[in-house]
Amino acid sequence: MQILPFYLLCDESGSMTGDPIDAINRALPDLHHEISTNPTVADKTRFCLIGFSDDASVLQPLVDLSDIDEVPALSAGGLTDYGTAFRTLLRSVEKDVAELKAQGHEVYRPVAFFLSDGIPTDEDWPTAHRELLNSRYAPKIIAFGIGDAEAQIIGQVANFRAFIQKDNSVSPAQALREFASSLTRSIVRSASSISSDGSSDFTLAVEEKVPGFETVTLDKV
Amino acid sequence: MTVHDGEDLALHQVKRFARVGDGGQGEVFEAGGPGRLLYKEYREPHKVRGDALTHLVRVRQEMAPAERDRLDRQAAWPLCRVTDGGRVTGFLMHRAPEAMTWTTSKGDGKLIELSYLLREAKAAWSAVPQPVPAQRLDLVVQVVSLLEWLHGLGLVVGDLSHANVLWSLAPEPAVHLLDCDGIRAGGQDPVLDQADTPDWHDPLAPAGLPASVDSDRYKAALMIGRILCRDPLIRPGEPLTLVPGTLDDRRAGQLAPLWRQAAGAAGSRPDLGRWRTALSGRGTIPLRRGVPRPAPSGADPAVFQQRGPRGTIPLRGD
Repeated sequence: MQILPFYLLCDESGSMTGDPIDAINRALPDLHHEISTNPTVADKTRFCLIGFSDDASVLQPLVDLSDIDEVPALSAGGLTDYGTAFRTLLRSVEKDVAELKAQGHEVYRPVAFFLSDGIPTDEDWPTAHRELLNSRYAPKIIAFGIGDAEAQIIGQVANFRAFIQKDNSVSPAQALREFASSLTRSIVRSASSISSDGSSDFTLAVEEKVPGFETVTLDKV
Repeated sequence: MTVHDGEDLALHQVKRFARVGDGGQGEVFEAGGPGRLLYKEYREPHKVRGDALTHLVRVRQEMAPAERDRLDRQAAWPLCRVTDGGRVTGFLMHRAPEAMTWTTSKGDGKLIELSYLLREAKAAWSAVPQPVPAQRLDLVVQVVSLLEWLHGLGLVVGDLSHANVLWSLAPEPAVHLLDCDGIRAGGQDPVLDQADTPDWHDPLAPAGLPASVDSDRYKAALMIGRILCRDPLIRPGEPLTLVPGTLDDRRAGQLAPLWRQAAGAAGSRPDLGRWRTALSGRGTIPLRRGVPRPAPSGADPAVFQQRGPRGTIPLRGD
């Protein structure tokens, strides 16, 4: 079977307290619901949730969403350490891809949805980011910035697509609901184009426009 | 709004309500009052082959009432085209039967697609009723019978997959075909160019040629094997591991050679009638195939080449 692993890296620093963190926690059951009730999509995808602030935790290890009926909630507090988030993602991806292959699956390049509401509080995050992107199974990163996040940094984090919340026109909580819907649609549409034996072309179907967000031009290197 | 005569309907006459579906080719809306009809609107109307859609509407119009009732029960068939200033924007169709929807834990309704028949039930969709083995067989027979009927009408289905066949068990096992605007008259182009669903393509179909009755037969074999084995990926030629109790020994014995034959070259796949017979458990009587009589040998060719004396025919009686 061809598997597409999805990672959600979610900022749970202190500034996410209240509506923003509640919005994400309320959206996760919808994501689970949409995918777990679609067996064809669930078969071909796996999902992992990583929360980061001072530290990063794998809250939900990579799983077939139809095999779980609860997921640890995000909980806000602490600073915004991007470096630890990228290092944790790198370790997870290395381990998960190896395990999927050991189970006889073929694995597509992982896809990471990165969400932050602020600027990184660690200075050397670009080092961890570079290691991630230079690694064997370097994921495609789609980055979303809300609240105080800076477009330039979000654009630097992403290597596939980047979005920043539109000023004042939407609240962070509204933007997060749109983010979660877009994430769900991306998983469903991408998985629907995957054939189990890899014989058809697969397209990572991430939307070019997300309501409430502006698309950020990615840095070219 | 009436669609009984199959005549084109102007877009402004179509009352659009909630959007209920969003596919690659277009969006589907409730139309003409919630719960009654659906309107599929094409995303790229300039690519629509209007004549192909007219043909499908006409196929239904020309049916006897009993046949048309069957079609409406078993297929979301185009009832009439919807046009705007000479351009075909979409068509109207009936909703799938209510029994083919299940209610999720969140309370929303989802269609009972074939997907739910092809794997072990999961907690997330435990509200979808699962068939006992006899009902599973009955659903396969329903699919085969529907496809055989469509082929008999000179139609090619094209794309058959886990997503475009619905099913229900109550009051009795039934199936319902979606995306019927992908159906076309044999040898003709469909309303819109259509790609195969991943995992449901015919690997031996000649490249570049349109869908045919033969590629339908291959996909029907996929569907038959996948339902009977509760396996979303099994293909003809692979060992058949049937859900216990679905087929008795007689049926299983008759199915096996068809399953092997379906893996053969394009053009050689068993037709739907043979599957139907095998699944009925009726058995077949072997018949000797007619052999052309050999040309006579040993005859004297001179018999055919030499003319006898011609003589004359008297015309005036004396």
